[in-house]
Amino acid sequence: MLKYIARRVGIMTVMILLIATMIFFLFRAMPGDATAYIVDPSMPPEAREIARERYGFNDSKWVQYTIFMKDLVRLDFGNSYFYGRPVMSLIGERLPATLILMLTAMIFSYIIGIFGGAWMAWKRGSKLESAGITFSLIFRSAPTFWVGLMMILLFAAKLRWVPAQGMRTSGYTGDTFAEIFLNLDFLRHLILPSLVAGLYFIATPLLIMRNSMLEVLSEDYIEMAKAKGLKERTILYKHAARNALLPVVTAGALFIGSAIGGQVLIEYVFSWPGLGREIVQAVTRRDYPLAQGAFIIISAMLMMMNLVADILYAVLDPRISYK
Amino acid sequence: MKKKLVLSLMMAVLLLLTACGGGGGETVAEGDDEHGELVPSITILSSLPEANMVNYEMANEVVEELRALGVEIQAEPTDFAVLIDTIYGDESDYDAYTIGWSGRVERLDPDMFIHSINHSNNADAGGNNTEKYRNPAFDVLADAQRQEMDITKRRELVFQAQEILAQDVPRITLYSRANVQVYNTEKFQTVENIPGEGLFNEWTPMIIEPLTNETILKVASNINLDTLNPMGARSVYEWRNLRLIYDKLVRLSPEIEPVPAAASGWDIVDDNTIDVHLREGMAFHDGEPVKVEDVKFSYEAFINNNVEYFMSFLEPIESIEIIDETTVRFNLVTPYAPFITTTLTQIPILPQHIWEQMDDQRNDPNSHPIGSGPFIFENFRPGEELVATTNKDFYEPAKIDGYIFNIFASPEGVLTALELGDIDMVSYDLVPAHIEQVANNEGGKYDHLELTEVKDIGFFYLGMNADRAPFGNKDFRIATAHLVDYDLAVDVHLNGYGGRGGGGLVINDANDFWHNPAVPIYDEYNPERAREILAEAGFTWDSNGRLRMPKQ
Repeated sequence: MLKYIARRVGIMTVMILLIATMIFFLFRAMPGDATAYIVDPSMPPEAREIARERYGFNDSKWVQYTIFMKDLVRLDFGNSYFYGRPVMSLIGERLPATLILMLTAMIFSYIIGIFGGAWMAWKRGSKLESAGITFSLIFRSAPTFWVGLMMILLFAAKLRWVPAQGMRTSGYTGDTFAEIFLNLDFLRHLILPSLVAGLYFIATPLLIMRNSMLEVLSEDYIEMAKAKGLKERTILYKHAARNALLPVVTAGALFIGSAIGGQVLIEYVFSWPGLGREIVQAVTRRDYPLAQGAFIIISAMLMMMNLVADILYAVLDPRISYK
Repeated sequence: MKKKLVLSLMMAVLLLLTACGGGGGETVAEGDDEHGELVPSITILSSLPEANMVNYEMANEVVEELRALGVEIQAEPTDFAVLIDTIYGDESDYDAYTIGWSGRVERLDPDMFIHSINHSNNADAGGNNTEKYRNPAFDVLADAQRQEMDITKRRELVFQAQEILAQDVPRITLYSRANVQVYNTEKFQTVENIPGEGLFNEWTPMIIEPLTNETILKVASNINLDTLNPMGARSVYEWRNLRLIYDKLVRLSPEIEPVPAAASGWDIVDDNTIDVHLREGMAFHDGEPVKVEDVKFSYEAFINNNVEYFMSFLEPIESIEIIDETTVRFNLVTPYAPFITTTLTQIPILPQHIWEQMDDQRNDPNSHPIGSGPFIFENFRPGEELVATTNKDFYEPAKIDGYIFNIFASPEGVLTALELGDIDMVSYDLVPAHIEQVANNEGGKYDHLELTEVKDIGFFYLGMNADRAPFGNKDFRIATAHLVDYDLAVDVHLNGYGGRGGGGLVINDANDFWHNPAVPIYDEYNPERAREILAEAGFTWDSNGRLRMPKQ
């Protein structure tokens, strides 16, 4: 097992370097001058030249690439052109906000999805099942920004139960993690965006769980359990659901991997100061270091969570083992 | 059976059409050799519709009009970064484009819109004269106004320069937007809306009065701030905050006249020498006194760090001397008329005791800026808010107790927050849809808000590369100026919230002092007249109806 993990980590490292190379050249292939957003067009040409020199645009692509890769090995993504600060600290600042929102949404959608999915498979063919599917698919296909706007309109503007946007009431002070995130004000701001995101995500665990359950329910041991006269709930959650969980676990692990990217539209609608918005802006501003850094971290996370999913498989299902 | 018939009919029609088209387009009919060269095919690099809908629409209008005159032309919507790369690039490979100059406060001084974007010295690749306009007679005036220290005489020169531009039409101004902004009149009163600046300018936070016990002004922005280091600041949004935290020697009044700020006054010793007297008894927010050494240090720091944005304002400075405890002398290389209105109003006074300890002044995050301005920095959360409290020891303390600069992701979010009373003022121009919504005030939802409107000194325009045919031909440019429907731009595309453009118009009537109202500009939409102008200038139409350049 350990050997297997070591080999996978080795492959992952090579993959990340390949991806980094690809990302680097992809951004350089994008048309447009990176100084367009750094240097105001009204500045004299010398100013533009100074900026080009400062950011190393005058070096050949190859030189830029070597510097980039050398820094990358030391886990240094360089300085953002736009913010003039290290990419790592910028990502670090935005990440908690994104992760808290995404993980809250995930917990919400996976708990409902797993239990709901199992139950729907049990009640296959009933009206409630089709209602459940329709419900989850509506939120999956409705544009999240529209759902978000409607929720703001209803719960924030009309009913005034929760704030409309932002992460905190303005003027709020607090320095430590606990002061910033563990308080009622923050939770009140979290409810609406995580609800909208959660409703959007719910279809994945719900439908995967339902399908996987349907397969498990046709197995002989379920018949056996029924024949033994076990209670419906015991069969459903103890015998069937546990075995049906595997694909949901994979989906969940991959979800966490991609959670860093955030949900741009939700961050936009709720003015949530997360990383997703930042990445989109970095690309339009041609802020290569920030965009590169974010994409590399996202792909690394995805690969890592893929590995975690594989390991969890072995833990959850003793029949699976890796050599 | 019927289907087949229709199909074959269509084929026949198609064949006929291509035959005509092919025959007409390629071969030159007899007699066409009496004409000049064909007008070369033109590409207008327009804005992307999502970036600037009006520019995109107006570019397409011009394309249609020129096409009707027999010119082969198309619009190519282009991403902003790509456009900047193209027009400032080394190859200068473009015919025409649409873009705009934003109306920043320092552009109230005519130097930017007269000298920088029209002087032939700036017409090489990378320069601001991307229209490649070259007129020696104009250059003389542009240089002279820059060195004329007497404001009345300078104004006369700027007026003459505008006359030449109106005759030569190096670019065609399509329209300018109005700065329409909004604030909460139930909580606050007394604001200034300054052209090019809007509500959140240098004066509103100083003069605004709270009407309730909510004495902190909440200002909404939909743009994030990047850095708090004045040397690294690249966008106007950082400056709108930093200039309230850092004081400057001179500020421009709402009437755009230089008024003493940290300086108590200045003497123009001669055209190349300016003495600035420092106000006494000022202190930085950490309690240290503001000294003349700090002033000298600040200007030199900006010069030594080659801060791009200020390079052109600081270039004329030869040296800075300390004369006595309250006097700093600026020695200039050549007389530079915008020195007081632009240079002295732009550079913030930095505390020397803090900045001299920085290893890299240019890139220091300066995460807790300490200045001597009217507001004291409290904290900044990127993507969320900047909080500042009022400096009660300032020589003219503000009436509010502080302000919060709230950063929103979208204008829709700002509108909701305005509606709910979560914010008191916006710091950017409302989009036309939101202006309408607030103006209609359906159900009295916006009773507590007031729209303020001021004309913008910035403008959006069609730039034409004079190094290439046909735009190198002045009459062709003048004819093109007759093909722009200036009223359509304002009345339809901007819902009436904007100003009319015109050929060669760069200083519009929002800039009261410098705008020359007596200049007749080509600002009439008249395609017939355009045809006449072309004909009078020797342009001809060949037997295919295509426009040809005047015969050499």
